[in-house]
Amino acid sequence: MQFDVIVIGSGPGGYVSAIRSAQLGMSVAIIEKYPNLGGTCLNVGCIPSKALLDSSEHFYNASHHFAEHGIEISQPVANLTQMITRKNGVVEKMNQGVSFLMKKNKIKVFQGIGSFVDANTVQVTKDDGSSENLTGKNIIIASGSKPTILPFMNFDGKRIITSTEALQLKEIPKHLIVIGAGVIGAELGSVYARLGSKVTFVEFAKGMIPTMDSSMGKELQKVLKKQLKAEFHFQTKVTGIENKGEEVVITAENAKGEPVELTGDYCLVAIGRRPYTDLLQLEKVGIETDRGKIPVNEHTLQTAVPHIYAIGDVVRGAMLAHKAEEEGVLVAEVIAGQKPHINYKLIPGVVYTWPEVASVGYTEEELKEMGKAYKVGQFPFKALGRATASGDTDGLVKMLADQATDEILGVHIIGARAADMIAEAVTAMEFRASAEDISRISHAHPTYMEAVKEAALAATGNRSLHT
Amino acid sequence: MAIEMKVPSVGESVTEVTIAAWVKKDGDLVKMDEVLCELESDKATFELPAEGEGVLRIIAQEGETLPIGAPICRIEASTAAATPAPAATPAAAPTVAEAESKTTSVTIPTVGESITEVTIASWSKKSGDYVALDEVICELESDKATFELPSPAAGILTIQAEAGQAVPIGAVVATVVGGAAPAAAATPAPTTPQATSAPASGATSYAAGHPSPAAAKVLAEKGISVESVAGSGIGGRITKEDAQNASKPVSTSPAPAKPTAPVAANGGSRREKMTSLRKTISRRLVAVKNETAMLTTFNEVDMKPIMDLRKQYKDKFKDVHGVGLGFMSFFTKACSIALQEFPVVNAYIDGDEIVYNDFTDISIAVSAPRGLVVPVIRNVEKMNFADIESEVVRLALKARDNKLTLDEMTGGTFTITNGGIFGSMLSTPIINAPQSAILGMHNIVERPVVVGGEVVIRPIMYVALSYDHRTIDGKDSVGFLVRVKQLLEDPMRMLLQV
Repeated sequence: MQFDVIVIGSGPGGYVSAIRSAQLGMSVAIIEKYPNLGGTCLNVGCIPSKALLDSSEHFYNASHHFAEHGIEISQPVANLTQMITRKNGVVEKMNQGVSFLMKKNKIKVFQGIGSFVDANTVQVTKDDGSSENLTGKNIIIASGSKPTILPFMNFDGKRIITSTEALQLKEIPKHLIVIGAGVIGAELGSVYARLGSKVTFVEFAKGMIPTMDSSMGKELQKVLKKQLKAEFHFQTKVTGIENKGEEVVITAENAKGEPVELTGDYCLVAIGRRPYTDLLQLEKVGIETDRGKIPVNEHTLQTAVPHIYAIGDVVRGAMLAHKAEEEGVLVAEVIAGQKPHINYKLIPGVVYTWPEVASVGYTEEELKEMGKAYKVGQFPFKALGRATASGDTDGLVKMLADQATDEILGVHIIGARAADMIAEAVTAMEFRASAEDISRISHAHPTYMEAVKEAALAATGNRSLHT
Repeated sequence: MAIEMKVPSVGESVTEVTIAAWVKKDGDLVKMDEVLCELESDKATFELPAEGEGVLRIIAQEGETLPIGAPICRIEASTAAATPAPAATPAAAPTVAEAESKTTSVTIPTVGESITEVTIASWSKKSGDYVALDEVICELESDKATFELPSPAAGILTIQAEAGQAVPIGAVVATVVGGAAPAAAATPAPTTPQATSAPASGATSYAAGHPSPAAAKVLAEKGISVESVAGSGIGGRITKEDAQNASKPVSTSPAPAKPTAPVAANGGSRREKMTSLRKTISRRLVAVKNETAMLTTFNEVDMKPIMDLRKQYKDKFKDVHGVGLGFMSFFTKACSIALQEFPVVNAYIDGDEIVYNDFTDISIAVSAPRGLVVPVIRNVEKMNFADIESEVVRLALKARDNKLTLDEMTGGTFTITNGGIFGSMLSTPIINAPQSAILGMHNIVERPVVVGGEVVIRPIMYVALSYDHRTIDGKDSVGFLVRVKQLLEDPMRMLLQV
């Protein structure tokens, strides 16, 4: 069968590029290895983890905050099986949603492993071993990524697990040891901590979520420590993980070179993800990977073969669903002859812990390194009416602005609605707004968003109204 | 404070204009009434004078077409003028004035190909007078026509050549020493602090010229660099609308023909945006073809009698009237007479009615640098040959210089077009709507004709009359053209009105 566009992978990058291509009048095929569409994000990533995060958050509130709100219930019990069943229901609903969108846009869905035969032919190998060939004028590689796990970590999928298995556990761990305190580790670690697990983080870097502004990691660590009694081992290098049947033993080395030994019943390895290109047979079309990633043209995302494009986790940049979506749209439009552009500096990063963390633009560390003259405006949630009323007083908004021009250079938020709040900062920065611009725009009261305005006031001239 | 300048209303029927050229650049310091740009409507070109003094911020680019009332540029209170005035002492004012004063020479412009010198007929301003930009300062006379000379700058005039003096083209006849208008000069102090207090809006913003995400995409697809677009958004940001309205600056000079061109087998092609004049011409011509029942009748005119008459009286005519005796006066007058005898040819349709005119305003099609224009000779029925000839010369010159006004181009009742000047033997002209008929003149060729049973050689011109058959029947159209032929072949008839 012949198509204008063949998309390999149906994650948020792949299925969005398929829809956009179809909107632009092209005939589109999408190939998915798994029975369900939606990729990592929808099946074993963003969506299921958010479902569990919310369930665990409800449980945590019922256990810790209801009494304070005047709701008296007997001690709640966490039913992990039900939580996972609910999560599976959420995922199923989203799967159906994506299938509906494919049908609506007349996109042909092929289930099986997509691999290159030649530059215009992709073979789809089904589970039963049968295969068929599709030919496409353009091919978009959107095969995504897989969790990284090193050989010495003895991954077994039972007690030594990755994020995928962590979303399917049968019991609440008593002591979960999380290797890596980055985004994924922090999210899943906090899920189980709120369900009652003791959680210990082991991280090679100096703090949590090390790629974000350091004030965020510090604040997050403070909250996790205070509320969830999580423990942290920073600048600690894991040397071995062993499943001893009922327990897992982690051996590591701290900054001083001293040995550290930790024992728990589960070990979640969350040290990152690697581009997943294993089954594509890229060598058939002469595309080479660079440290696992597929090199692409910075503006058009074309690979070494001009009519083959690559997007999302298989190319450079942050492994984020919304970044992949932007790239999916961009490629479809490039194929259609348009000239779209992505401002990668303004793709927000989000961590779905509680409180959430979100950020866009430069971190303070980056600005220091660049030697840029900047000013900082900060505003804590505890000074905010809405946060106090809702009982979500942890967190802060930090705005960094150019010392000379007042242009906003970075916004970092940790707090109850950070993931939604960051949108204002992204919009403002796309238009190169100044801190004063934000502070002169009306923000509804009482809302969490007022914290952004107050931080902007603080950045403008240290004149926030409520501190 | 910044003044936002909008496209002025330039005529009743004009709804949009195109920016033909910016005379000033973005960021230039401009003075009140200084010409900022040239606007082109479908009928004429206009100059847009500054409404105030300050720094020019261009909003709409060259080649853009804007509706009447659309913002075209901003004039921001000049920061340059504001800087030296912290104390706003009167002493500071002259410094500013001095810095701005500039001497501009007033030279005699080229007025026509064959004209090498002109005579200063009269000065309308005296030495020491303050003159505004483009204000008429004197009248010039050549052997063909008279011209008005506008001031090239605003300032104090010093006359260097006396009235009655003959001066060659290019000679300096006066100087204008630039400066603020007397009214402004009288009150320098209050204006300065005002300017200081005005925030330097937008112009200096770090974000000026930053395109919104959608604007960036639009510009990339149009292949227009962000730098060439003026942002109308807050702080000079480029909005999606700015990007949508932006157009590539069209290179006005056509690519020079390369001597080695024949080698390029594939050849090249060049795209130019249609001017609004050209667009209107194209739209109107198609509309006329579609909306009228147009057809053409032909005849031939023996030009010998007119040529004989011209030969005989050409010099005398010039001596007496100061203008040459051409063919146009004969044709115009003949048409005027015929139009009065066949009023339906001089009429037009308005809805369900036919409007008959008892005057004959005859449009003359003239090829101007920017395209075809049709100035009108009014009340030809009351004019003598000399009147017509001098009016033709006057209008043709204005057409050539793009100086025709709207009034001079509207309201004709009949049109004469002369394809003969380009060598046309025969053609079917298109009616100039809403008129009902047009006479096409052609070249004069010596042809054998039979006169009194003998073949003789005569200078013959074929004439064509295209007319709207909806109102004009064959009897009238053919009758009209035959009448024109009669009048031209025997000009005496025009004199006697027979």
